[in-house]
Amino acid sequence: MLDELFNKIVDMDEEGAVSLAKEYLEKGGDAQKLLDVCRDAMAVVGDKFEKGEYFLSELLLGGEIFKGIMELALPMIKEGEGKKIGKMVLGTVKEDIHNIGKDIFKAFAEAAGFEVIDIGVDVPVEKFVDAVKENKPDLVGMSCLITAGISSMKKTIEAIKQAGLTEPKIIIGGGRVDEEVKEFTGADAWADDAAKGVRLCKELMGVEG
Amino acid sequence: MCAKSPDELAKERLARIEAARNLEEPDRVPLSGIGGDIIPAYAGITQHEFCYDYDKAIKAIEKYLRDFPSDMPGGGFSGLDGRAFCIAFSEFPDLSPAFTLVSGPLHDALGDKYYRYPGREIDENASPQFIGGTFMQPEEYDQLIEDPVGFIAETILPRACTNLETKRKAMATWVRVGMEISKAGPAYAELGKILAELGYPSMPMGWGYAPMDIIGDFLRGISNAVLDVRRYPDKVKKAIDALTEPVIQYSLATVQGGAKIAMFPLHLNEYLSPKLYNEFYWPSLKKVIMRFYEEGVKSQVFFEGHHEPHLETILELPKGWGVAYFEKTDVVKAKEVLQGHTCIMGGIPMSLLVSGTPQEIDDFIKDLLKKMKPGGGFILAAGVNVAPANTPPENIHALIEAVEKYG
Repeated sequence: MLDELFNKIVDMDEEGAVSLAKEYLEKGGDAQKLLDVCRDAMAVVGDKFEKGEYFLSELLLGGEIFKGIMELALPMIKEGEGKKIGKMVLGTVKEDIHNIGKDIFKAFAEAAGFEVIDIGVDVPVEKFVDAVKENKPDLVGMSCLITAGISSMKKTIEAIKQAGLTEPKIIIGGGRVDEEVKEFTGADAWADDAAKGVRLCKELMGVEG
Repeated sequence: MCAKSPDELAKERLARIEAARNLEEPDRVPLSGIGGDIIPAYAGITQHEFCYDYDKAIKAIEKYLRDFPSDMPGGGFSGLDGRAFCIAFSEFPDLSPAFTLVSGPLHDALGDKYYRYPGREIDENASPQFIGGTFMQPEEYDQLIEDPVGFIAETILPRACTNLETKRKAMATWVRVGMEISKAGPAYAELGKILAELGYPSMPMGWGYAPMDIIGDFLRGISNAVLDVRRYPDKVKKAIDALTEPVIQYSLATVQGGAKIAMFPLHLNEYLSPKLYNEFYWPSLKKVIMRFYEEGVKSQVFFEGHHEPHLETILELPKGWGVAYFEKTDVVKAKEVLQGHTCIMGGIPMSLLVSGTPQEIDDFIKDLLKKMKPGGGFILAAGVNVAPANTPPENIHALIEAVEKYG
């Protein structure tokens, strides 16, 4: 049954996947096992995107399917039972109010096993710094769509480092981000799509595949 | 060397641009000016002032264009896509073009939820931003299909604009909107005069839009529109079909003053697989482009993001249909596919202008133009023409000099 669910997720059968997950849980299936299967399936969706077989529409739908199944499964998983591979503070930087890219990334990062603390959009520099102080994340993810976000990212990264918070690795993401922007802002990694972003987050954490 | 008169400069620039658009090799590769947040920043005014005060905006644009000349001005007044309003007014060709770009003052008058303007919802120095939203439920596709103009005008806009919520409020709002539009007229005329003094050719611009983007940008929101393609494919397809004729009506209204080129900003192209693009997005977009073509108007389509997977579809258009403006698509690769068929525009990553050195920019442009210049049909432009406020001016000078040297 779980194999079938895996295939339905990878094949983007939203209705089929969600109803099968429901049936599995109703029959007393293990919610944690279900979640693991969903995670594996989401990783395959990400791979297909990176290979050019899938596009943003499939990432969006994959995220929706995952959210739909999580809603069913999460109440049945005991606190602390699901192991996390890392903690991340995530937000869209100051002066940029866009959330679509951040939200797609978040769905895939959670699916990959990250605990994501989403601090929203148009996030002031100080709020990023405070969130890092408070949550002590392994990673900080910054998103932007508009070009003004480039300098906001630079300022935010500088402020985090100046506050002595040099532990977390910083990854930047968004449509206008590239290698040049990474160098300019002082980030540790960059991605312009969610699949690559999650892969790099795992690499930054030293997690396999 | 004698300085050229504005008229001479304008003629030279026009010939250069037209040669490129007509797939010929001009005297040098034309440069489309760099614009964006740097324009108010360079004049020392806030984004809010730039968006709300025509006099200050005109002075800022003039100062910027004087110091950073190019073949096509990179700067103009601020405005964000207002195509839902254009569709609502599509039966009135004298009015529909006025809503193509919604300015800060129009945003205030409408009280809409589509935009965020500096000094209003966001910081006075932030860029104006389009946020869109979900103003239509999936059950309402049938109403949209049945009467797209009526549904947008009478159901969607009152939801999307607080100042159109009731008929009484709407009466006052449309009067205020009309007053604002009539203020913009003289400002545009004044800007036109300054552009002529600076040697820019008069090039009236028309506007087009991809019908499916109306659904993503103004009705269902981007994410929902993309998901709807999977969840309600037949409804989405019918809705796109229903929207196509109003989009064409509006688009033709924008060129009734004699414009020979029409700009298309695209939004959902990058989201879709080739299969979905060809099934949902492209056929109606192609129809709008072809209507312009039949009227003797070229289209300049901004293919946002990565358009590589869909490049071949451009060849379905007749040779010389217009200009493909690319953001992240590699223009050198695009040239291999499109040379002799489509004028290509783009090539400069904004990140290079923001964080590179003048020498790096010189090297980059030299290398790029070596590949792109032969055979013509190329307009050099920034992939996304929004230079951030802190873009080093020396980098833009370096770009302008490099084009003179290697173009």
